[in-house]
Amino acid sequence: MNTLALSAGLTGAPEAVLFWILAPLIVLAAIGMILVKKAVHSALLLAYIMISLAIFYIAQDAPFLGVVQIVVYTGAVMMLFLFILMLVGVDSADSLVETIRGQRVVALLAGLSLGALLIGALGRSLLGAGIAGGAVGLDQANSGGNVQGLATLLFSRYVWAFEVVSALLITAALGAMVLGHRERPVPRRTQRQLSEDRFREGSELPGAPLPSPGVFSRHNAVDIPALLPDGSPAPTSVSRVIKARGDVLPTAPFELNKESQGEQK
Amino acid sequence: MNFHVPVIQYAEVLPILIVLGAAVLGVLVEAFIPRSLRYVFQVVISLGSILLAFVAVVRLHGTSHVAVEGSVVVDGPTLFLQGTLLLLAIGGVLLIAERGLDTGGSAFTAHAATLPGSEAERTALASGIIQTEVFPLTLFALGGMLLFPAAGDLVTMFVALEVLSLPLYLMSGLARRRRLLSQEAALKYFLLGAFSSAFFLYGSALIYGYAGTVSLSGIREAISSNAGNDLVLLMGVALVTVGLLFKVSAVPFHAWTPDVYQGAPTPVTAFMAACTKVAAFGAILRLFYVGLSGLRWDWRPMLSGVAIVTMVLGVIWALTQTDMKRMLAYSSIAHAGFILTGVVAVNKAGLEGSLFYLAAYGFTTIGAFAIVTLVRDSTGEATHLSQWSGLARRSPLVASTFALFLLAYAGIPLTSGFVAKFAVFAAAYSSGSSALVIVGVLSSAIAAFFYIRVIVLMFFAEPKEDGPTVVVPPIMTTAAITLAASVTLVLGVMPSSVLDLIKSAARFTF
Amino acid sequence: MNPANYLFVSALLFTIGALGVLTRRNSIVIFMCVELMLNAANLAFVTFARIQGNLDGQVIAFFTMVVAACEVVVGLAIIVSIYRSRRSASVDDVNLLKF
Repeated sequence: MNTLALSAGLTGAPEAVLFWILAPLIVLAAIGMILVKKAVHSALLLAYIMISLAIFYIAQDAPFLGVVQIVVYTGAVMMLFLFILMLVGVDSADSLVETIRGQRVVALLAGLSLGALLIGALGRSLLGAGIAGGAVGLDQANSGGNVQGLATLLFSRYVWAFEVVSALLITAALGAMVLGHRERPVPRRTQRQLSEDRFREGSELPGAPLPSPGVFSRHNAVDIPALLPDGSPAPTSVSRVIKARGDVLPTAPFELNKESQGEQK
Repeated sequence: MNFHVPVIQYAEVLPILIVLGAAVLGVLVEAFIPRSLRYVFQVVISLGSILLAFVAVVRLHGTSHVAVEGSVVVDGPTLFLQGTLLLLAIGGVLLIAERGLDTGGSAFTAHAATLPGSEAERTALASGIIQTEVFPLTLFALGGMLLFPAAGDLVTMFVALEVLSLPLYLMSGLARRRRLLSQEAALKYFLLGAFSSAFFLYGSALIYGYAGTVSLSGIREAISSNAGNDLVLLMGVALVTVGLLFKVSAVPFHAWTPDVYQGAPTPVTAFMAACTKVAAFGAILRLFYVGLSGLRWDWRPMLSGVAIVTMVLGVIWALTQTDMKRMLAYSSIAHAGFILTGVVAVNKAGLEGSLFYLAAYGFTTIGAFAIVTLVRDSTGEATHLSQWSGLARRSPLVASTFALFLLAYAGIPLTSGFVAKFAVFAAAYSSGSSALVIVGVLSSAIAAFFYIRVIVLMFFAEPKEDGPTVVVPPIMTTAAITLAASVTLVLGVMPSSVLDLIKSAARFTF
Repeated sequence: MNPANYLFVSALLFTIGALGVLTRRNSIVIFMCVELMLNAANLAFVTFARIQGNLDGQVIAFFTMVVAACEVVVGLAIIVSIYRSRRSASVDDVNLLKF
């Protein structure tokens, strides 16, 4: 019913409301994306922009594309970005110190002039008698269904590009493997080999397992070593870093002796 | 639902299918063949497929047809450029496959996922393996390059642009020596390349908005029927041009070239410098001569300005360089300017001149970078200019071959460069851009200065005591250099057969 | 409402993305700004498809999504390998190659 009341080329009121609510939010999110310091915030703002764009696509008679935008772009690509951000460091933030003097100013000028050119060109052409004066709309193109229409085009007119894109996908998978897959140059040592090594090297406790933490310790603190049954400090009871710093305290003042044992009784 | 089954002319796209199929076969080799045999299989598959594809291109001689529902246009310029690309790729793959130069093995790293300087890297390098994935990546890039000048619409062009670029981003990061520089080159190439692809895409969106279609013949019709002076169309053309000029490293968009050429492994630089320019200029010629020929009064001044700035700045910047690979990179920027001079002359002579220049430049580049791989010292390649002094005393043959390539770059008579420059400048003059010709001749003179400076350095300067040695080139590098040198000489002394071939081929179909 | 308003949004997003590429330091954020530019181009394609009345624009936007996904894989692999070597993802630190 709504379409009958509209003149050709303009959109209906519900879509206008949707647009005027979402579009300023998208632009604000984009500006925020380039201004926030932390990279994770930029990623989340970009995810928001992509979901809003999916809503725009659905509003513009492209429902398949809207769903693909959410599933592929937001769901796969943005999640990949977030994974890599977690790997690189969630707290990574840009430094504000400029290494090239005046670069920000020049970049701002260049970007703003590009924007002005684009918007000016679009405005002159479209708001005049130009292109959108007769927006045809997709009712006829979508007459057999949006997915069917897209499929007809994809497998007849654009079938060659469709097949060549497979080369791109294979390259991406190959490249990720080449740059990311670490192979072990020697096979992993099995438990049996580790055990054999322990026996060969002749350590003091080759066969029996080591005592669990706390069995020989004399105190809760990390810098006081535990004492083995013969009275010598256990070498593995204090961390390497503390030993290297020389912060190990003697155990003697903290040892239980017969007087204190007698007192506690 | 009226779905009409697409007609795919398999014979006409056979070269591209052969190369891409061989690339997929290479990936299967990586998956299933044991590591010790991979190298042999990959080299055989790569070289064999390139030769087969070349035979297919030769058999298509004389075809002039818009194939595969308008996505691929097989005509004279396409076939000439595809043949050139395949011959250049033979040289490139020979250099990539060379294992006899570096004491550790090939120019490529053993295991790209190890950290530079770590124990794991040392173990991997000592084991003598290389990342043989380089071969299928090269074939994928070559497949994209074969499709790029043949694209019949902007979507195919964009997909081909990405197919040729992504493997090159990866290969730039796989050097064996100086891995940090190599990784840095890969990052810079990737970020700037993605940035320019986005410009190309937005420009094609604007052109689609104007014309209602992205096929080049459809755009051509829309321009002629609407007297296309629409601002949206002009903005779209400008943005698409930005994306394409990045690929050929024309001046405002050249910043990636010196760093990437210097950081990438030299065989990859040779392949990239020669083949990417040929493919990208093929796409520029097709877009501007077929799709946008009706707009020529709008884009000619812009491209002339870009050509002038590119020639002048490329030559001036090359004068101050002290690293051989960087100097060759800046000189390739200048050559992009010279080829643009031929593109700007929107006539058949301009097309012929550009095609000839591309062929001449491609072979000279492969030869020059092949010789750069031969001059080595204990840490790898010796690329600082001062290390090249007196090279002729130690190895007169290599020095004279390099001198031949430098003279071809400079455009001295009896080399292919002279015939190429003459063709391009004559075409520009005949189309009325005399300013371009004057600037071109002046830049060539300045360029000749720094090329001859290197020749003087090699022949007449004293060699350094602990300087680099010139390794006796093993068979693959020798074959590549011989191919490049013989084409450079033949095109310079007896260019008429190739010129006639180009004359008969230089007609676009649409 | 004129459907051309979507085109203004797309031009704004493209410009903001280009500004982000030129000003930010973290290579991952730079790459995200490139993705924003590609999304802006997609919005332009879909809007022009509606204005022109054929589905070509939507098919092209679909291709763009696939290509962008592949580019993201390759790009992030390169960025991760740089991060592993240098422990930093900032492009200011990638400064060994100079004029």
